[in-house]
Amino acid sequence: MSPFPLSSAALLKSAADRVRSARPELADGLDLSSAQALRAVRAGLNGARTAPDEEVLAVVVIGRLDLPGWVRETCAFALGLAPTQREAWRRSFTRTVYLAGSPANLRERFAFDHVAGDGSAAWAGPAPGARTATLRRLLKSFEAAHELTAQRPATVTVPGRPGTRGPVRRELYLATARVSVTGALVHLNHLLAEAVLDGLIGPGDRLTLRFVPRLSGLGARLAMLRVDTDVHRPDELQACAGLTTEV
Amino acid sequence: MNVPTRKNVLLAPVTVTPTKPLTPSHLKGLLWTDVMFRATAPLAAVDYRYSHTTYHVTEQTVGFWEYLDRTQGETDYAQLSEEEIGELYVRHRCEGPRQGAGVLRPYRDAVEHDGWVHPASERMLGLWAGHYERLGMHDPGLREHQPPGLALEEMVERLAVAGLALDQRHCGGPVYLDLTRHGMPLRRIVTADGRPNYLACALRELLPLVPWYDEVVLLYDRELDADYRLLHRVLTSLGPPVSRVPIGRVPIEGKIAPARLGGWRGHTAGALLRASAEVCESADGHGDDALRLGMRLYFIATLGPGQQQSFRHDLLRHCLTVAARLLRRSGSATAAGDLPEVLERHRRGHAYVDPYRLACSLLGKGRPAPDPELLSAVFL
Repeated sequence: MSPFPLSSAALLKSAADRVRSARPELADGLDLSSAQALRAVRAGLNGARTAPDEEVLAVVVIGRLDLPGWVRETCAFALGLAPTQREAWRRSFTRTVYLAGSPANLRERFAFDHVAGDGSAAWAGPAPGARTATLRRLLKSFEAAHELTAQRPATVTVPGRPGTRGPVRRELYLATARVSVTGALVHLNHLLAEAVLDGLIGPGDRLTLRFVPRLSGLGARLAMLRVDTDVHRPDELQACAGLTTEV
Repeated sequence: MNVPTRKNVLLAPVTVTPTKPLTPSHLKGLLWTDVMFRATAPLAAVDYRYSHTTYHVTEQTVGFWEYLDRTQGETDYAQLSEEEIGELYVRHRCEGPRQGAGVLRPYRDAVEHDGWVHPASERMLGLWAGHYERLGMHDPGLREHQPPGLALEEMVERLAVAGLALDQRHCGGPVYLDLTRHGMPLRRIVTADGRPNYLACALRELLPLVPWYDEVVLLYDRELDADYRLLHRVLTSLGPPVSRVPIGRVPIEGKIAPARLGGWRGHTAGALLRASAEVCESADGHGDDALRLGMRLYFIATLGPGQQQSFRHDLLRHCLTVAARLLRRSGSATAAGDLPEVLERHRRGHAYVDPYRLACSLLGKGRPAPDPELLSAVFL
């Protein structure tokens, strides 16, 4: 993906590219020309869903939330996936369910695929829903209604031994105005997971998490965006999170 | 000589919030507990913990109080009947969106800091005390200030130390009781904006109390079974054996309807007592005793622990008649003088007496006349 400055056209292109990349066989027949058309496509995809045996979802169980730590571990989880899991997850638009739970209390009963080093969160999947059904029945959806507050920038290093590419530095911007903590997790999760699947984030990379009210006017060159409905204007798109090119 | 030591037993029934009239379901639970308490007393040192103070802070109660002050203004609640207060409660629960946590805070603070009770609930508790007296039930302190041993934060902290709390308030989430280690579902006990539910209140009360006892009995509505299984698991980890005694509700015309919908109309404790008093008037001077014994025979021995049978006026009347007959026979019998031994038979391996078995033992053809000492100690 070539870098781009932020604009309405860039938002639309980014959102449309995401659909094309996840479901290339469908993209040709879909209208991805406007924000409204995109919304209709999204509603259609959500309604029809992929065949149940094909759709996969990841589950993240959150005990204690420390956002920078969570960013690091989300990358580690995505990096640990096998190629077939990566492909299936991308086709399911990196669908993820967020649950409140204590990984320490659950580890005896459930085999997680990744557990944060400090035990604050744990991941399972991506896999067909049935594999995590018991876990989802036992726990509750993660609730964090607080509006995200701006924090000092924090730099994390993605776990793992760097490959031939060599580690790089990027900045990770997150919009905070009218975004709840839960909303922020959703945006960051999709962005990070898809950046890992695209090879934009690799082991040893350093990511600096920056909190801004809104990403508009951002001078940085962006390599990847998380685009969703504008928090103020429901007919328009907004950049909710963005990953810059190498800095 | 081997003298058996008296065990310390705690009876901890779920409370009825003083916001609506007592219904047949409530009466059943109260009579059940009363018989258990009085029948266990000769055998063990038994405490009957029933604190309204502990549960006033739940949304059901403080939400009603705030509604009353907002919609009724200055009202002389001392003039209202329990049915009239109950009608206001039904209106409150139909009102739509619940109040914000901030609106309820002054009410919670007043309960926590000063033991304050809204006059509508004061009135309700006063009327209930009258019913208790009429029914010969032990008053466990309906109108006393009985705060729980732990503050909300202390309770959460104590659970957290034991790995039993998941506290997500740091990011705007709730507090959960976390027994997932035992394969039991996560249960929210304090909402993100700080509203405790009744389970949080029960934990504040019981966590510090339970370790002092040799045996604990939880009595509750069958509908609360999932929560009481969680509570049971937490309390068991504190040491003494804990028994769960679920008591089925009493359907009205086949339905178990929540009190907030007003399903109690025509079946309140007050109405039942009035109707029963008329039946008992002809009981040869045994009127009050026949009422007390008959109510226990109906709500305990006849309805049993389940909830299959709907409330039936005719069966209640029948039990009052049977009670009058038993009292007449008992009047000419002599006390056996071995009350503990009689009660002992109905313990079934616990320190407490099973009210159902004991009440059923009075009935049946060919039974000897009931021991007057047993009746006066437990049933009157």
